[in-house]
Formats: sequence, C-alpha cells, structure tokens
Amino acid sequence: MGGIFIKMKCGLEIHVQLETDSKLFCDCRTNYQDAPANSNICFVCLNQPGAKPYPPNEHAMNGAIKIALMLGCKIAEDETYFLRKHYDYPDLPSGYQRTSIPIGYEGNLNDVSIREVHIEEDPGQYKPDLGVVDFNRSGIPLIEIVTEPDMRSPEEARNFLRELIRVLEYSGSARGEGTMRADVNISLEGGKRAEIKNINSIKGAYKALKYEMVRQKNLIRRGVEIKQETRAFLESQMITVPMRLKEEADDYRYIPDPDLPPMLAEYEQIEVIREKMPEPPHIKTERFIQEYGIQKEYAKVMTSELALADAFEEIVKHVEPSFAAIWMRDELKRVLNYNKMSFDESGIKPADIVELLDLINDKKVTPKAAKKIIEKMPKNDASPLKIAEDMGLIGVSDEESVLKAVNQAIDENPQAVSDYHEGKKGAMNFLIGQVMRLTRGKADPGETSRFLKEALAK
Amino acid sequence: MNLLDKSRSIKNHDITASDNLESYLKTIKKKNPKINAFLEIKEDEAAQKAEKVDARIKKGEKVGKLAGLTIGIKSNINIEDFIISAASKTLENYVGSYNATVIKRIEAEDGIILGTTNMDEFAAGSSTETSYFGPADNPAAPGRIPGGSSGGSAAVIAAEMCDLSLGSDTGGSIRNPASHCGVMGFKSTYGVVSRQGLLDLAMSLEQIGPFARDAGGIALMLDSIAGYDPMECTTIKEIPNFHEITQNSQDVMKGMKLGVVKEFFDVSDNRIVNIIEESIDKMTDMGAEVVELNFKHLDLCIPTYYLINYVEFFSATRKYDGRKYGYRIEEVCGEEVLRRIHIGSYISQKEYSGKYYKKALQARSLIRREITGLLDGVDALISPTVPKLPHKLGESLNTMDMYAYDVLTVIANLAGIPAGSMKAGEVNGIPVGLQIQGKPLDDAKIMGMMAGLEEIQ
Ligand SMILES: [Zn+2]
Repeated sequence: MGGIFIKMKCGLEIHVQLETDSKLFCDCRTNYQDAPANSNICFVCLNQPGAKPYPPNEHAMNGAIKIALMLGCKIAEDETYFLRKHYDYPDLPSGYQRTSIPIGYEGNLNDVSIREVHIEEDPGQYKPDLGVVDFNRSGIPLIEIVTEPDMRSPEEARNFLRELIRVLEYSGSARGEGTMRADVNISLEGGKRAEIKNINSIKGAYKALKYEMVRQKNLIRRGVEIKQETRAFLESQMITVPMRLKEEADDYRYIPDPDLPPMLAEYEQIEVIREKMPEPPHIKTERFIQEYGIQKEYAKVMTSELALADAFEEIVKHVEPSFAAIWMRDELKRVLNYNKMSFDESGIKPADIVELLDLINDKKVTPKAAKKIIEKMPKNDASPLKIAEDMGLIGVSDEESVLKAVNQAIDENPQAVSDYHEGKKGAMNFLIGQVMRLTRGKADPGETSRFLKEALAK
Repeated sequence: MNLLDKSRSIKNHDITASDNLESYLKTIKKKNPKINAFLEIKEDEAAQKAEKVDARIKKGEKVGKLAGLTIGIKSNINIEDFIISAASKTLENYVGSYNATVIKRIEAEDGIILGTTNMDEFAAGSSTETSYFGPADNPAAPGRIPGGSSGGSAAVIAAEMCDLSLGSDTGGSIRNPASHCGVMGFKSTYGVVSRQGLLDLAMSLEQIGPFARDAGGIALMLDSIAGYDPMECTTIKEIPNFHEITQNSQDVMKGMKLGVVKEFFDVSDNRIVNIIEESIDKMTDMGAEVVELNFKHLDLCIPTYYLINYVEFFSATRKYDGRKYGYRIEEVCGEEVLRRIHIGSYISQKEYSGKYYKKALQARSLIRREITGLLDGVDALISPTVPKLPHKLGESLNTMDMYAYDVLTVIANLAGIPAGSMKAGEVNGIPVGLQIQGKPLDDAKIMGMMAGLEEIQ
C-alpha cells in the first residue's frame, strides 16, 4: 500500500465539429454562435413529426475520411451506415442521435492507437437555468475520435490532445479546440475504469485526469475499491463528481437508421482524398528534420501551423534552412506571440521573410536592426526593405564610425567607465547600448563589444 | 363518370372545379357526421383554390394533372396549417409545420386538398377503431369497420366525399381498407413515392399511396406524386411510367402468367376464395395463364412484420417526449400504440435485440427472397387482399385475431414490392378485395392489370 507510482491508463473519446457550411442532414447554416437562438433551424433538424434526413452532407463525409486518413486509419471497405442512439434529453429533438459506424479504424498518432473515427450529429444546446433549448447547433456534423487506453499520464493525454487538435487544424475540415467535447476514461492499476464526461478543453482534460488520479489514489490507499462509474467534470471547480444516474443512459437501443440507406465509400474517392489531403503535422515534423537538417524543436515550431510550415518550405528554396529556422522560431514566433496572432493572420508572406533574411546576409542591415524590422511586419503592406528605409536602419556601420561612437560613449559616461573598471557587470552592456543608440543600431554588437574592451583597456 | 373523364371535363370547363367541390361539400355535410371519415375540412381555402383553377382554365392557361379534383389526406401526412394528429391525443395540437413532398406535388398539379382523414392512432391498427377521434364507419357495409389503418381515406372515396385520397401502407394500411370499402388502393415499390413528411410507423416498410374509385384515378394520382425526391434518401431514381396505363387495357391480360399461391387461399374465408377464383377465371378468359405456386414461410410473416414494426415505431415515437407537442405519448396514447412502444422498447434492448430484432431482419430477407423467387416465374401474384370479412363496429377482437387481417398484405411491405387492391365482388353486400402483387418496379404493369380487370367487371 501507499505506492506512489501506481500505473494509470487513459483513453479518450474526442468530439470536434466538422467545418461545413450546412448541417449534416439539412441545408441549415452552421454558424450557430453568430445566429440568434433558434434561427438556423428547419423541420429536419428540429425533427418535426414526419421529417426525414436529407442525404448526408458530402463535405462532412469526405472531411471525416480525410481526418481518418491523416490519423493513419484504415478506411472501412464495407458499407457504412448511420445508427440511431436513443436517449431522452431536452437537447435531442428526435429522442435519438444519429451516429455512423466507424469510417476509419486502427490509426495511430504519437504512439497512441486510434480505435476508430466516426461521424455524428450534434444535439441542440440546453440551458437548464432558463429551461430553454437552442436548436441552432442541432444537426451540425461532429467527428468523434476514439483512442485505445494508451496514455500513461495526464501529461501524455495533454500532449496527445494538442497534437490531435493540430492534425484537425491541418485538415482544414474540422473546427478547433473551441468546439471540442471529450470523454476521458481512466483506470489505475488495481481499480475499475471511470469515465469522465463534460470536458471541453485540453486544459480541462488535463485537470480532470490530475484530479481523478489523486482521488483514485487516495481511495486505493485507504483500501476502498474503485467501482466502474461515470463522473462529470465541473470546469468551474476543476473537480469530478459522480453523474446522476438519469444522465447515464443504460441502453441506447441502437438500430440502423431506416431513413438512411447504407453508403459505400468508393475506392477512387478515397484515393482522391488521400492525394489531396495535407501531410499530417507529426509526419511533416519528421520530414523537416530529415529533409532540411533542422533540429527537432525547430521542426516542431515550423509545423505548429500549416501556413507557417508551408511558408518555411517556400523560404528554404532561397535561404539556408537552419538560418531560416532560427529566425522564424526565435524572432518571427516571438513577434507573432506578442501580437497574439497566427502566421496566417499576420499577413506576412514567405517572400517578406526571404527579403529580410537576404538583407541580413547581404549585410544591408544588422541582425539587431532586422529584429526591429520584423516587429513592424505583421499586418503591414510595406516590404522589409521599405520598413528598414523608413526607420533609417539601412546599412551596417563602418569601423570608423563605430570607433567614433565608442569613444563618444566613453567620454560621455565616466561613471559607467569607472563601474566597468570596478568590475560591475551591467556597465559593459550599458556602454554597448550607448554605442547602438549613437549608430542607430547599425553597429554589430560583437564588434562593438570588442572595440569597447580595447578602448577601455588603454 | 370515371375520374379521367371528369378531369378532362374540368379542364374543358364543362364542369367547374367550384361546382365539383360544392357537390362534395354537400355530401360531406350529409354523410360525414355518421361515417366520421374526414377529421378536418378547410372549406374556404378549398373554395378559393377551386375558383383560381376555374379562372385559369377560363383564361386558357395550362393547369396541372389534378386540376380541380378534390383530395382527402390521411392525417399522418404533413400539410401546412392543418392539424396533423395521426388520430392521437399526443398530437391533437400539432399543426403541420411544413408540406410533405406528396402535398407539394399535389399542389403543383393544382389538386385541391379538402381535408384530413381518420385513421388508426399513428397508423397502428387495421380497423380505424383505435382513432382518438372515434372509429370511422364503412360506407359500403354500414356498421362494420372500414379497415385500416387508412380507414378514413378509403371511406371518403367509398362514400363519394371527394375524388381521390392518400393513405399510407406499412403492412396493408391502404390495401386493407380499400378491400373492405370496395375501392381501389395502391402501394408502390418501396422508394417510388417520397415519405418526406409522413409520420412514421415503420420507416423501412411504408409508402404513401392513393385511393380512387377507378384505375384511372389511381394512375393519375401516382403519376403526380411518384418520383425521386432529393430530400428523402430512400426514394429511388427509376420511376415506373404510370402515364397511358389506362389508354389501352383491352389486351393487357393476354399471355400474362398469374401466380396463384395455394397458402394464400388456404388461410382465407371460403366465401372470399370463391369470389377471387371467379375473378381469376375472368382473367384467364381474357388470355391469362394460371401458374400454381407454394409459399413456405407464410407463418413467419406476421411475427416478422410486427417485430420490425414495434422496434421502428418505438424509435420513431421517442420525439413525442412531452416537451414539444404537449403530451408524452405513453401518457395519452391508446392500448395498441402503447403495446407496440413497450414491446419495441423491450426487444431492442442490447441483450434481446439479437434474439428478436436481428432474427426478424433475417426472416425478412428470407421472406423477400422467397416472394421474389416466386415472382421470377410469373407476371404477378393474385390473391385475396384480406383473408376475412370486416367485423362489426363494437365487436372486440383479441390482438392475434386483429393481426390476422394483415397476413396477406404484409409480404409486399417486407419485400418492398408493389401491390394493389381492387373490388372483386361482395359477400352479403360486404365488399371483397383482390390483390395483385408484382416484381419491384412493375407498378405500372399491376396498374394496367387492374385497369383491364376493371373493364370486364
Ligand atoms: Zn435544418
């Protein structure tokens, strides 16, 4: 007893909305968050008496196949069809949810096995406090990804989810983490499996697993048997609580939906999707390492966003890859993070980066000046050269003017000079800064430091 | 006057649509209170439509196939602004929120929708006695059930309260009341008529279809409503040609091979058998040839049909949860509906579905294979529509006796094949229906045979 290293196993069921203009079984629009409540509805997605589904939205079906392929899944070769999953809840206007049998199965992402990928329809949104349901969301296509219980820690689960969201973003066919809903199952060595529902973010999944691990460990430590149960995650308190039995449907009474005949994915159709699909990020990362000889951390950053990865591949046609990678990881990402925008949103073009790096290579600007230029590049129509000209940053200072600035800095700052001689650490940096100011940043920092040391040694 | 002649007369302005409507409204006022076949009538709207049709005809404008004809609709088919109750208290306040595809097509052909008709609650019955609004009477055999579940739609035709009507047929719900009321009714190949807007009983079995007093009426209505519907996934693209069916029906029986299945007659009342055999003799006189056949799995048909019906009906009724339409179905429905929901719920449970539902689906395949096998060697199967005569209103039958009405009609639904029923004769004034079943998509051929047989009767 009292073992601190109890092994855990964790599996995930992740739902994310597919990116389509119209719903899965009708023509209603999917911009449910922008639309007034109950305005994106029709008799089909309200499941009025007698309403039948229209044929499944092809974009949704193809998007699901694409994502399954990107997760390395095999695609079901037999007919696929939709099942009715019955349960009674206010947000479900028909009393059943349509859910497909697996479209893809036996995939893998970052050493986590993907059991299956299938498609479902989203229910409406029930607001228990108001007692009303907004059916704008009813019928929006969801993709559900089910993993095997291959994750061994909350951290592994978090890494997997981050990677999965990246794949979904790459696919261009799914909406992001904002539409994610996940069920997490966790079992500790010696205990039964608990399922946690109501998780809406990667952070939530991580916190729920952390909490549940501690809770279960404590029970095991006290010799309490862990029973199989369904628990709900309370995001506001970051804890899990037992779910009321009512919400835990005992038997969904699955039947094939008689209104939707089985469909057969054509081999040719799958091959077309396979050819057109974006390279999944985890595979792209490996390729960047191999093909461009850049370090793994750099490759990961380059592939963190599809637009950034595409830009990198464009840039390295003109610039040495590790030079480009360093600048893009250290400086470009710094600027993007500061502005809280993606590369795509920044409007920066690969040609702009190439131009900037060329300015450095051609010694037209100093690296320090380049850092100032790149800060001005997001959402800016002006080219790096134009920005440099406007800011007066063109030209690397010649030796004579740097020396002149060095002498001026020493003359004007006797206190810093004496600090330097007393061995105070900040003094050198202060003097370098003065030289930079005097040369408007055109001096090379390394050269400046050398000149300063020589002059001060006299 | 047969329906096609009347249609021509309206188009030629020999009769006006308004006069046609007016005379039916008079009949309805006189007969409906007793027969209880129409549940809701919209006189004013119908009158306005009739006037518009007349005005367009007067101006020489082209009008649709159903121009000026009055039509009754089973109250389980959505029509905007009508109460679509499916004869259940569950939906007594549900106003049709959209038009079913068949309604759109009728309106596009200038048909005049007069009202909704009585039926068994949610179409779960074979007598129209389970209607929340009370039973309908049989105009052809007063005091007896009109059959069901589309009893009201058969009765409005038999009582001449309108020109045409629509019913739905899940296990015989069109053909059964057509037989009992002495009119024509037709269930097409599964997928020929769109179910979009039809309230569900058992989705994999049912089709909407017409009632009429003659074959021309059936053909005209099918020609109007049949056809692929991009908004309903089970409709099919191949559509039988119902046009011109009734133009040349003289020689239709020549060389036809008629399959006569012994077991279909064994289960039927002798008096009914005699009448059907007379009709078969007439057909052979016209040049048809009889082929005697056997059907091994007749005893499987009723259990198979009902198990599938229960499960699909259970699923379909989950939306009547009391949140949207006022009542929770289990709290207000009748005994038969409740039985089906409970059994459906029971046998679709994870632990039992293998034992019941999956077995039923296997049996369905077996039945389908056997019946299509029999049809391979013949043009059509001829039999009684219903094996027994309609009982008297008020007489109470146990469930199995009630279900026994359906034994000859459910096969067409289980197999998805076309089948029609027409009057063959009478037993003590009670109509007896003859059923013709054919191969998938042979709908027009069956219609042609019905037209041919009609001519010599
Ligand atoms: Zn909709």
